[in-house]
Parts: sequence; C-alpha cells; structure tokens
Amino acid sequence: MPRIHTKCFGKVDYPPAAVFDFPNGLPGFEDEHGFVFLERPGTHPLLFMQSIATPELCFILMPVLAADPHYKLRLTEEDLAALWLPEGRQPRMGQDILCAALVCAGGEDRPDPTVNLLSPVVVNLKRQIGIQVIQTQVKYSYRHPLLSHQDHQELVPCS
Amino acid sequence: MRRRAGESFLVGEAVEIEVLDICGTRVKLGIVAPDSVLIQRKESLLTRAENIIAARSVRQHSIASLLNQVALPPHGAPVKNLTDASGLTTKST
Repeated sequence: MPRIHTKCFGKVDYPPAAVFDFPNGLPGFEDEHGFVFLERPGTHPLLFMQSIATPELCFILMPVLAADPHYKLRLTEEDLAALWLPEGRQPRMGQDILCAALVCAGGEDRPDPTVNLLSPVVVNLKRQIGIQVIQTQVKYSYRHPLLSHQDHQELVPCS
Repeated sequence: MRRRAGESFLVGEAVEIEVLDICGTRVKLGIVAPDSVLIQRKESLLTRAENIIAARSVRQHSIASLLNQVALPPHGAPVKNLTDASGLTTKST
C-alpha cells in the first residue's frame, strides 16, 4: 500500500483507490492533481485534503453545510461537465458530491478563522474527480467568518 | 461611460473591450488583447490568493485551536448526515 508523508499526521498508508483526481489542480496550485481526504476521530466536521505529490501541502476543509446550513450550490454546465456529472440538473450534496469549503485557520495576518464559501471544492464521489468551483450566481464571501454563527447562539439577552 | 450592445471601448491602446450582448442582468463581453495580457475573472484572482493563504495557515497548533472554536455541529444536526463523507475519507492511523 502506498505511503505518504502528511503535513499534519505523519506517515499515512492509503489505498490507491482513495486518491481523488483534480485535473486542473486548484488556483495557485495548478500542478497538484492528486489528493487524499483524511479525517481523524475528534476532527469532525473538519476534513484534511492532503496532496499526494507534496507532503507540505494540506488544506483544511469544512463541509459547506456545516459552515452555513442554508448554503446553495449552483454549478454551471461547464462545472458539471468537468465533474462528469449529468447536464441539466444540480447534483445532490452528500450523495452525488461532496461540497466543502477551504478553511483559513487564522494566523499572524488574520487572527480569526474564515471559510471560503465563494469557491468551494466540489468532488464527484463516484468518479473521484474534483474541481474548485467559483460561484457566480450566488453571492458568498471568500472570507466568511467561522465563528459568528456560534457567537450568536451563545448571546443571551440581559434581563 | 455608458455603452450599448455592439459598442466598444479601449483600455490603453492595445486592449479593446466590446459589449456583445445584454440579457437581463448578464452582459457578454468580447475582449481583444495581446497574448501577454492575462484575462481572468476577479473571483479567480481572489480564490488563488485565498488558497495560498489557506495552505499556509495549516499548522498543528492552528488545527488544535480551530477544533476548539468550531461550532460542532450546527443546530444539533449530525455532521455525518450533511456530508456522508464516510465513503470517501481515509482514516489516518
């Protein structure tokens, strides 16, 4: 079984069938075509998208519905064709596709974590082909704050 | 500047942009430019920059703090049902 050095979890063995093909890579990483998705107990709902070719390259992903329960994905005909999905209808999240947003985990430049809901990673679960979609028909932020949702829930009015 | 369909304008001397068609809120543009000029949607540029920042942000301590901060899961719904990612993920050991 092939083994990769991962950025976050040391050495990981993976079956070749677990590799997802990104024919165009991602913007900024056009030469990265193979990724595996990793999860660990206790990291839900986060997923880790680890490059096969580059150990130092790993993205943190979060399912879009975990970041925004009302998230709407609109794929263009070009997106559907690139994902080998049938034309004329939108795929079902969780059944046909995985739709997850890249997380920026906060650091020196930006202390609070954000998710990129403008350009989610969409993966055809049957064909194991993925692309990064840039949504143009729905307005979403590429720096959606991850914590506002939780903060609102914790606010309690004074009495 | 106001333009109608079929009219064009220049950016500098070498780049010409023509309004080809207008349909509701959508405008179709034709662009004539030298090969050296990269033409891309603004969202593509933002996505590229954001991808690079996101990749750099991944560190062990950032993952730990992220897990402490993330709302799990929203509205009490099990996340598994949102993604059903069980078929695709590889368990790391």
